[in-house]
Amino acid sequence: MTDKYISKDGLNGLIASVKASGGRFVAPVLDTRQVVYKEVSSAEEIVDDYILPRNSYKEIAFPQTEILAKYELTRDGVTIDPVEIVARDTVVFGARPCEAASLASLNSVFTWDFIDETFTKRQEKVVVLSLGCVDADDECFCTTVNLSPASTEGSDVALYETENGYIVTPLTDKGTAFVSAHSDSFTDVAKGEEKKELVNPEKVEGVDLTKLGERLAKSPNYDNPEWAELTRKCCGCGACTYSCPTCHCFDIIDEGTAFEGERRKNWDACQFNHFTLHASGHNPRDTQYKRYRNRFMCKFHIYPTKFNSTGCVGCGRCIRVCPVRLDITDLMTAMSS
Amino acid sequence: MSNIYIPDLVTIEDIYEETPDIRSFRLVFKDEKLRESFEFKTGQFGLYSAFGLGESTFCIASSPTRKGYIQCTYRKTGRVTNALGELSIGDTMGFRGPYGNHFPIEEWKGKNIVFIAGGIALPPVRSVIWNILDRREDFGDVTIVYGAKTVEDLVYKEELKHWDERPDVKLIQTVDPGGETPEWQGEVGFVPTVLEEAKVPAENTIAVVCGPPIMIKFCLNALGTLGFSDDAVYTTLENKMKCGVGKCGRCNVGDIYICKEGPVYTATEIKAMFDDF
Repeated sequence: MTDKYISKDGLNGLIASVKASGGRFVAPVLDTRQVVYKEVSSAEEIVDDYILPRNSYKEIAFPQTEILAKYELTRDGVTIDPVEIVARDTVVFGARPCEAASLASLNSVFTWDFIDETFTKRQEKVVVLSLGCVDADDECFCTTVNLSPASTEGSDVALYETENGYIVTPLTDKGTAFVSAHSDSFTDVAKGEEKKELVNPEKVEGVDLTKLGERLAKSPNYDNPEWAELTRKCCGCGACTYSCPTCHCFDIIDEGTAFEGERRKNWDACQFNHFTLHASGHNPRDTQYKRYRNRFMCKFHIYPTKFNSTGCVGCGRCIRVCPVRLDITDLMTAMSS
Repeated sequence: MSNIYIPDLVTIEDIYEETPDIRSFRLVFKDEKLRESFEFKTGQFGLYSAFGLGESTFCIASSPTRKGYIQCTYRKTGRVTNALGELSIGDTMGFRGPYGNHFPIEEWKGKNIVFIAGGIALPPVRSVIWNILDRREDFGDVTIVYGAKTVEDLVYKEELKHWDERPDVKLIQTVDPGGETPEWQGEVGFVPTVLEEAKVPAENTIAVVCGPPIMIKFCLNALGTLGFSDDAVYTTLENKMKCGVGKCGRCNVGDIYICKEGPVYTATEIKAMFDDF
């Protein structure tokens, strides 16, 4: 399919068209003084001068909390009823190209051998409209992890900003189907319509992903005292994991009484002491540096080698939200040497 | 396909109080079809639900040769296990599984087997013991070395008696120094020491070790001294698990997910792992 065009005003037509077909339109909006991905009903709500929304849109396919089943104990016995997975057609408008790669990474965890349908059923319904970045900040490091503001990995439709609108490039079958289904909202690209120049964030000096991966795979480096030194200021709040688009850890808990309640799947974080605490009191990750090391290993060793997917997309959220300014790229540099 | 996190309902058919804080359940599936069709392999585990409190991970302590039910044994130590401790015969709980890999006992035919377990770690080994005893003629000598802190802490006391009386099983029981009673007939000493003193021949023998991490470590050393190769030594690891299916992110040791690629490993595999368990 050839490129199409949509003006910023024309987005209202697209939003209406998506809603009319029963879908949700999610875009970056200003909410409690932060830019976040949220469902919108008009183009006026959408902000366009953002670097990256505060939250990751992984929550569309992997909600912060969801009910898996409801249980009930009565005189007649026990019932446990699975809750139907509600998956709505969802359009993510303005996803950054770095983050677009993340759902595929999560998919690789949620589908190896056992298929977690609570994720896959929702992911199938997500159409990602990525928007090439014309601006970046000091925390952006996509180019360091071999992505860039022009990346299309995981994106269904690539959008490129022009003076008054967007040039629309369908990338996948899903993306083509989306543009066709809402064809009234798009026009052909007018002559002279020019893409704004994409930004090119500098690579973090000294990071070598291959060396980093090789180093993490070797046991003596695992026990290197450097880990404790470099991560000493980590306070274990877990903010990095919650904002990370590829962090997948979760908990399964019951909420309710012994008579009725719900079984839930909730986000969890490998940065907490109780996360791996055995009932016996033994804890394999009993200090914070071991927990930090686990997350770092997950991004740069486990995801790439075990799941053959991108562990870290370089969005920089973990750096922006960190209360103690622990910078993952500092660790990447140190571990590359 | 259905939601992988939904347990099946099981009824507690029988309860055995093993020690003051350890008990066993004999469980049968409520669904009759599932009761018939359910299969597992020795060494696999499951997640057991106490509704309202959540799930806990234990091995299946019964042998696949005994069909129609599963047995689990657990210590009352946390929220879920304390709630399970309140349940009675006839009550309903949840079960998901079986998960994980298993002991490759088909490859052990014709070999001698030595079982080494400490405390609450006898249950996973019990599944293998009964599996082998139920097909006794397929295997060589069977030796069981089992220890606990005190006499009171030994689990499966009736079965220990049975194994002790069987002429085709050599059972060595031990308790930690200070844990013996005046009537105690067994050894006094730690499992690795007793194992070494028993001088179990390594030739044509498979060792199955299960216990707390520190016991496993010293038993691997003792087995090395006795001449066992690391490929002939098997153990089953334990880490906290919530999903059981390689997704929740807890049980990994480096890039190895215990719940999916384990929990059964050879000593060779264990020694190649990161020191993270």
